Amino acid sequence: MRLATAAVALALALALPAAAAPPALGAAADALAAEIGPPAEGRRALALAVETRAPSLARPLEAALERALAGAGYTVTPVRGAADAEGAAREAGQDWLVRVQGGLVPGRRELALVGEVIPTWPSFFLQRRPGARAIPPRLVSSRAPADAEALVLAREGRPSGAPFAAVRPLGRVEGRVLALAIGDAGGGSAAIAAALPGAVVLLSPAGAPLARFDVDPSARGAVRDPAATIAVGDFGAGRVAVAWAGGAPEVLALRAGALERAGALAAAPLCAGEKGAVFGAYAPGTGVLADALARAPGTVPPRRSARLLYGVAAAPRGGPVSFAALGTDLRLELLGPELQPAELAPSTSSSTAPVLPSVGTGFALADLDGDGVAEIVASAPTAAPPDRVRVLAARPGAAPLLESGPVEGAILAGAGGDLTGDGLDDAVLAAIVRGPGGVATELLLVTSDPREAP
Amino acid sequence: MSRLDRVRTLAAALALAPGLALAGVRPAPGGSVTLALPAEARIADPALAQDAADLVLARATSAPLLERDAGGRLVPGVLAEVPTSEDGGRTWRLRVRDGLVTAAGAPLGAAEVAAAVARLLSRAPASPHAWAALALLGADGVLAGRAAAPEGLRVVSARELVLTLALPLPELPDLLAALPLAVAGAGPFVLPSAPARGAPWVLRANPAAPGGRPFLDALALQVVDARAAARLLARGKVELVLRPERAGDAAGPALPPLRATVAALGPGLGPRAAAVRAALASVDRAALARRFARGAAVPLSTLVPPALLAVAAVPASAPNAPGASAPGRLRILVRGDAADPRAIADRLQVTLFDRGITAAVDAVDRERFAARLAAGDYELALVEVQVLAARPALAAAQIATAVRGPAAGRRALGALAGLDGAPAAAAAERLARELDLVPLVATAPRASAAPALQGIAVGPEGLLDPGALWLLGGEAHAP
Repeated sequence: MRLATAAVALALALALPAAAAPPALGAAADALAAEIGPPAEGRRALALAVETRAPSLARPLEAALERALAGAGYTVTPVRGAADAEGAAREAGQDWLVRVQGGLVPGRRELALVGEVIPTWPSFFLQRRPGARAIPPRLVSSRAPADAEALVLAREGRPSGAPFAAVRPLGRVEGRVLALAIGDAGGGSAAIAAALPGAVVLLSPAGAPLARFDVDPSARGAVRDPAATIAVGDFGAGRVAVAWAGGAPEVLALRAGALERAGALAAAPLCAGEKGAVFGAYAPGTGVLADALARAPGTVPPRRSARLLYGVAAAPRGGPVSFAALGTDLRLELLGPELQPAELAPSTSSSTAPVLPSVGTGFALADLDGDGVAEIVASAPTAAPPDRVRVLAARPGAAPLLESGPVEGAILAGAGGDLTGDGLDDAVLAAIVRGPGGVATELLLVTSDPREAP
Repeated sequence: MSRLDRVRTLAAALALAPGLALAGVRPAPGGSVTLALPAEARIADPALAQDAADLVLARATSAPLLERDAGGRLVPGVLAEVPTSEDGGRTWRLRVRDGLVTAAGAPLGAAEVAAAVARLLSRAPASPHAWAALALLGADGVLAGRAAAPEGLRVVSARELVLTLALPLPELPDLLAALPLAVAGAGPFVLPSAPARGAPWVLRANPAAPGGRPFLDALALQVVDARAAARLLARGKVELVLRPERAGDAAGPALPPLRATVAALGPGLGPRAAAVRAALASVDRAALARRFARGAAVPLSTLVPPALLAVAAVPASAPNAPGASAPGRLRILVRGDAADPRAIADRLQVTLFDRGITAAVDAVDRERFAARLAAGDYELALVEVQVLAARPALAAAQIATAVRGPAAGRRALGALAGLDGAPAAAAAERLARELDLVPLVATAPRASAAPALQGIAVGPEGLLDPGALWLLGGEAHAP
């Protein structure tokens, strides 16, 4: 009976750490251990030194590696804070030092580990050179998709004194970008979709062109100020939906690296996030939208008011502010997942949506700081140059979280989504600039990823 | 500096002016705007309009064949594309956009465009803008009454017409953007009915306009004097004032000075012509522009306003010609309702008197002025011309036609076609001497705008596009 109880306890003790290990950390550690391989020539004593950019990642990663290396047959001794880890390992009589550095891959939601496998046993033939390595060291590495736990642990803190978010150029698109969206367009990872008057272009998170779909703008009804809406999400036949003012909404699909027309929609796709898409319609003859929003692409409901809308944005991950509608009066209405008035505090509910009174027309929702409530990333609410990037909390009356320096051009479109791969939302804004070669669009990345901090 | 560079520079300069939408707000439709003008608009027909208020009304209610984008580049308007010539500028195929209709719902195709071009050569009513059709093969025959239609204007299908010119004219695409060739009744706004005399014109948005519905729901044109303009602007009763003087402290974009005043020596001068010519040559045109012309004014060195030339100005005054003084008397013909020519005529009286010539100002009404000018019934006339084209050859042709008639206009086209910059300035100077014209000043009205008014887009032709006006925040509602 005792034996059985002890066996169960031992089994539980062995099972518990494995169950508690974040899957991404465990997978990366297992892969690295497999790369290192089983102990050679019975040399099992292994010192493990782990370094990470994010301090909170170091201990859990060390534990995961210790478990994985133990499973491979090593006796693992962690080495922490030693200035000379290799010397410490030699002094302690270890056979190996495995020095591992880990962190998130920039621009991707991946955890990467790089290890140096350094022999530390004394060599009979190198007695006169005590520091010499018996055999050459080798490098090993592994990667695993970063899950939520890994993202939490690997996220670096914002440097002291750093602004709420950084703004930097991401790329340049020839022509005027009318609308932006971010999401998985069918390639398996995040991409930026941009609607121009005569094309839809798909860009990588770094701003590099991936695919392009050209259309004939003259086939549409004339609109004085060209406008478009674009969304990336599940639209049945494809994952990119676009509607130009004066034209019919359509669905595009990414097939074999090329964008193709895949279907049509009855209503204009205005935006999409984890909470789904929002559909609407242009006010006749204009580039702005009627105040009639729907969650499905069927018939658009009657107008809520005579108000006109510049656009509607979706928070990539939903939350209490899942959508926001910007009127031509520059008032931004904050909406919940079912387009109801957003409830900004758990106990509050109202029949009228909270409103931010003065928001520029190039805007996006993005939870930059990961607190679960999207911020508003927007242009300046003025027609006079220069333009600026502003980050606003989703609270009426709150001071701006960020106001950038002057930005060249006019910011007239935006979208939110994770482009840096840190697991938190970023935003991209489209600044229209005029140069000798004509109109172009500078894409600006707005992110609170500490790796992008100035 | 190339023509394109010049247009871009102009557009960039205009774009820097206050009030243009360059930062993070897109234009919004809806709302009404009142535009205050110094005189009543009477004529909406672009083939007949020439006074400043008429040109505003015509621009609002007519659709140009080609438009300009914010960078000053030509873009499709009524025409589906900016045409190119395949034979060095003599033959041009114009394609009209599909599906166009006028504000009244009538189809707008190649025949209607051809009619808009042909009526510039009509004898009744005679258009002041025949210059815009002079290059057509057979235009002189129509003007002389020998033919009903120019042979160079041919409709080949419902959507296509072919223009054959009497001379190569690379400037034709720019000419197609000029207001006189616009199609009446198809512009961004439509006039429901003419108002009672003195009442403002209230124009409604035309949803079928070729460039798309204008942003504003309505545009009112109201005659307002200088004091009232400043007061009404400050109170928000008017949103835009176009007058020679600024209305109060309100800022607005600078308009290019394209209203040219030239002195024409008449056949009645006889032997006094040399002395008058010398006296006019000695006039300090910079001082004229600075002290005697209202509005923003620049000295005019050639027949082409400097805004279209972008070259260093020719000296604005010339030394006195020796031995050119000769005593005598003359009369200076001016239009009585033209403020700048009248003020300049007063100044010229002094200059001529210093040269021993006693001059009297003969101010007559518009119709009489036109008739006497056409008949050559004057000794010295001061003619004011609102230049409506963005290229030197076209500007010179317009002024030459306005003062000396169609033959002079054709001569100007031939002399300046294809020229830009310094060569165009030199050719325009020669042309002025040959036509016995003395360019004096070019002026522009000043725009004063309410802060909420955006989209004050002024093309290189100097005209405001009313369809581009919009109101920032709060005013827009569903059309």
